[in-house]
Amino acid sequence: MSTVEMLSEAVQKGRVKDVLTLIEAGLEEGLSAQELLDEGLLKGMSLLGVRFKNNEVFVPEVLLAARALNKGSEALKPRLIEAGVAAKGRAVIGTVKGDLHDIGKNLVKMMLEGSGFEIVDLGVDVSDEAFVAAIQQHRPDVLCLSALLTTTMGQQRSVVEAVTAAGLRDEVKILVGGAPVTQRFCTEIGADGYAPDAASAAELATASLAA
Amino acid sequence: MSSRQRVKNALDHKATDVVPIDFGSTGVTGIHVRTVGALRDHYGLEKRPVRVVEACQMLGEVDDELQEIIGLDCLPLFGRWNWFNIDDTRLHEQITPWGQSVLIAEDIDLTTDGRGDVYCHAAGDRSFAPSGKMPAKGFFFDAIERNLEVDDDALDPADNLEEYGPIAEEDLRFFADAAARAAATGKAVVASFGGTGLGDIAFVPGMSLRNPKGIRGIEEWYISTVTRQDYIAEVFDRQIDIAIANYERLWSAIGENVDVVFTCGADFGTQESQFCSVETFNRLWLPHYRRMNDWIHTHTTWKVMKHSCGSIVPLIPSLIEAGFDIINPVQINAAGMDPHWLKDTYGDQVTFWGGGIDTQRVLPFGTSEEVRRHVREQYQTMGAGGGFVFNSVHNIQANVPIENVVAMIETLRSLRAGV
Repeated sequence: MSTVEMLSEAVQKGRVKDVLTLIEAGLEEGLSAQELLDEGLLKGMSLLGVRFKNNEVFVPEVLLAARALNKGSEALKPRLIEAGVAAKGRAVIGTVKGDLHDIGKNLVKMMLEGSGFEIVDLGVDVSDEAFVAAIQQHRPDVLCLSALLTTTMGQQRSVVEAVTAAGLRDEVKILVGGAPVTQRFCTEIGADGYAPDAASAAELATASLAA
Repeated sequence: MSSRQRVKNALDHKATDVVPIDFGSTGVTGIHVRTVGALRDHYGLEKRPVRVVEACQMLGEVDDELQEIIGLDCLPLFGRWNWFNIDDTRLHEQITPWGQSVLIAEDIDLTTDGRGDVYCHAAGDRSFAPSGKMPAKGFFFDAIERNLEVDDDALDPADNLEEYGPIAEEDLRFFADAAARAAATGKAVVASFGGTGLGDIAFVPGMSLRNPKGIRGIEEWYISTVTRQDYIAEVFDRQIDIAIANYERLWSAIGENVDVVFTCGADFGTQESQFCSVETFNRLWLPHYRRMNDWIHTHTTWKVMKHSCGSIVPLIPSLIEAGFDIINPVQINAAGMDPHWLKDTYGDQVTFWGGGIDTQRVLPFGTSEEVRRHVREQYQTMGAGGGFVFNSVHNIQANVPIENVVAMIETLRSLRAGV
């Protein structure tokens, strides 16, 4: 097994120490930071995403892998900056106002990171104004809105309206998700896409870059 | 047939005259206080502050008058201390952020801060950081995660057990007196003694504790189910030791005045899948549940209820093997949770307590006609041959159109009248 393959494996198993050791080894072998990122870290997360979607691994394994991915990305960051490697896209993500739940939002964030996105995470209980301000400041390609509750999913509509009112609707794709959210609801509120799980959300976000 | 007999028959998978109904017997089968208020208004009942019986989720008391109108068969047996470890018997009137007058524990202040948020403190002790937050535009509290740093070298299972211990004598008497009063009504009594929510994520952050220690972060806990299985198994084992010692005293004080014990609200399902594999469940949870349920079944007449939201189809055989008699809330719109299939496959082995009406789409967003059709179908599908207690999929929330709740109630009344 090659170093990048072992790196991908280590990410999937959430082994932080192995990830850091393999990055060191890879660099010594003369592999580029970009290769280690794309073929090692991101590929590992992407393969895990497929297994997650197929119910072969579950939320705890994804959380664990994301930690390993983060540590690995941090270790590679100075070299990536040096080499001028840019993120594939930028996403602003948050759980809407009135809703404090973030497991689902964090899973999507991790899968997006694993797909090469740069993420601006606004956290939970995020107001419409804060989403609008973040779009103005960070100019993301996609805006991801999470809501766990039937009592808060209506806030997703409110954010879409606020983004439209601010004249920013054409500048960003809006993706929605969360337990009670459906494709029908997504269409009804004028969002651009809905995904039923975190791995699908990352695929959708990636596809929206090309659209 | 008395309500109690009706529920007992349903739990024994025997025929009942009509399908038993529950709203309000536990913290997972209730109605939000705002909706309780709206129901009282709809039925022309006296205007008065509604009592909050479960402060974290802001569930309202389904009082005698509403019990009568809906035709309910179950009564709750709650303890004296709520999820924030605040005395729930001393009440004061408060106005909620949505402008409703309610009766709630004295140590909970519903005044909003400058951002419109409400905070709650463990044991009402404001000298510590708050342990719960109800955000502006929200309708209930969620736990605030505190003390997120975990030092593996210093981890002690006792730190994750601080909130569990022997029931105080006065609390035992409180349970016994309340159970006797509830049983005297002829309804089935459903007890929430607490302490057995093995890894129930609502309780992991320790909202009842002033300064929680151990593993208290939600993500850290989930990760620990993979990386620190020995630690978690030790926590669960000791939790069950404590629970069984409490059950011995509770059984001798309460006996058959309780019919059902709601034991555990740990969710194993998401909308699409499970939180863990069957193998992990069987290794990490099943032996502890089994020990608890075996003790209850050997020493008492109580039936045991397990709650888990979401898509849990692959785990149902394990839940049955663990000895649970009742599964709640039966989230019929989650992946694979088809009510016909569930009833055909497991209907003779376990009682479904819930699944009477979908609460993610039909009840909050459907038309009243859809509600009527759906309730009728669920009642007939799930109710055949016993093994079913009608309840919504989890608590009825604050935003549900009251005409839809009324449509559900009126449909149930028609069905029970044979119309």
